[in-house]
Amino acid sequence: MDILIDSLLAILTIYLAFRCMLAPKLSKAVFVFFAFGLMLALAWIRLGAVDVAIAEAAIASGFIGVLMLDSLRDFSLIFSKNQERLEETASKIPVKKDSYHWTTGLALGLGLILFLLISIQAIWEVPQGGGLTAIAEANLPMSGVEHPVTAVLLNYRAYDTWLEIGVILMGLLAIFAAGGLKQYRKPGLAPAQDPLLRKTILIFTPVLFLFGAFLLYYGKMGPGGAFQAAVLWGAIGILLHLGGWPVFTFIPRRMRQILVTIGLGFFLILGFTQMATGGAFFEYPPAYAGFLILVVETLAAISIAAALTAIFAFLTK
Amino acid sequence: MKMETYEIYSLTSVVLFAIGLGGVFLAKHFLRKIIATIIMGGGVFLCFVSFAKRDAITFADPIPHALVITGIVVAVTAAAFALSLARRIHKLTGEDTFEAKK
Repeated sequence: MDILIDSLLAILTIYLAFRCMLAPKLSKAVFVFFAFGLMLALAWIRLGAVDVAIAEAAIASGFIGVLMLDSLRDFSLIFSKNQERLEETASKIPVKKDSYHWTTGLALGLGLILFLLISIQAIWEVPQGGGLTAIAEANLPMSGVEHPVTAVLLNYRAYDTWLEIGVILMGLLAIFAAGGLKQYRKPGLAPAQDPLLRKTILIFTPVLFLFGAFLLYYGKMGPGGAFQAAVLWGAIGILLHLGGWPVFTFIPRRMRQILVTIGLGFFLILGFTQMATGGAFFEYPPAYAGFLILVVETLAAISIAAALTAIFAFLTK
Repeated sequence: MKMETYEIYSLTSVVLFAIGLGGVFLAKHFLRKIIATIIMGGGVFLCFVSFAKRDAITFADPIPHALVITGIVVAVTAAAFALSLARRIHKLTGEDTFEAKK
């Protein structure tokens, strides 16, 4: 029975990825991408990786999908009759469109099939390792949390998580550098008139906030944690931006900078605390580890939520 | 042939990676290329997590899970940056593919 469910899910995921790449219209590609992301999240639940499933559904499917949906507006296609009329008149003018020569397509196709066969053989014969489960389980009582993935993220490999927050910040700076900030002028407050949008924001903001807070705290004993909570809170910011309340751009600039960097900064200070008494970098005192992890997770979640909202806000300028 | 759960998903991860790789090269529009890279990333992460399931004792190996969560965030940040670049190119030149429109 298990095999049946997993096989069907696997076939569905591959099929959706295929349709996503072959979709004739760009908007259809984005929508099928959403579906693909959710099927992938289901696959991760089948593999027992609930944290990863939440992160995938929220970030790799939800957040980036929202960014791409928003950019569809720029890249034209569908949505308005005007656009269709424009496309009709444009198609009447003969345009020399470059297309791949058939030999290129054939070579690429053959190369891909060869790659596929070699990879399948390699995957099939990956040697049995043993993994690090035993070590992770042995040190779990000392880590301050009860959920192994949170222990790895915030304790064993806290350095990686700290750098990951840095990467998000760097992405924000890169988007500024790509011209997001220069054309920025403070927009006026123009709440959307659409009643459906207003009602959605009204209902979802408190739900998202509460559920994010729950995931943040629940990360200690079950699937959850800072990143998942951060994306839910970031979703509040994005919803408000879409509804015409650009909250992120209305708080003063210094406050914005503090909000976005506080997670990184506090995490770094935490890394140095034990070094004064002779410990290693990013070593926590075992008695306070749980409390410190919760504080760091909260600040990191606020910081990442602010950064995600900023990425959305400044991407659309 | 008796197949474990993780074996099914490790095979699909390879197929997903191949689909993404083909999409990066064969797709013309910027947005499709970016979607293809995320699909490739999904394939790689699926491979990681499927081998984490193989090495499970009481729970699945948590280190690959943490690596994959970090990887998802990094991949999405890079894709957001690529998206901003693509939009900027489109805004400045009006082009949304790498080919010149004559």
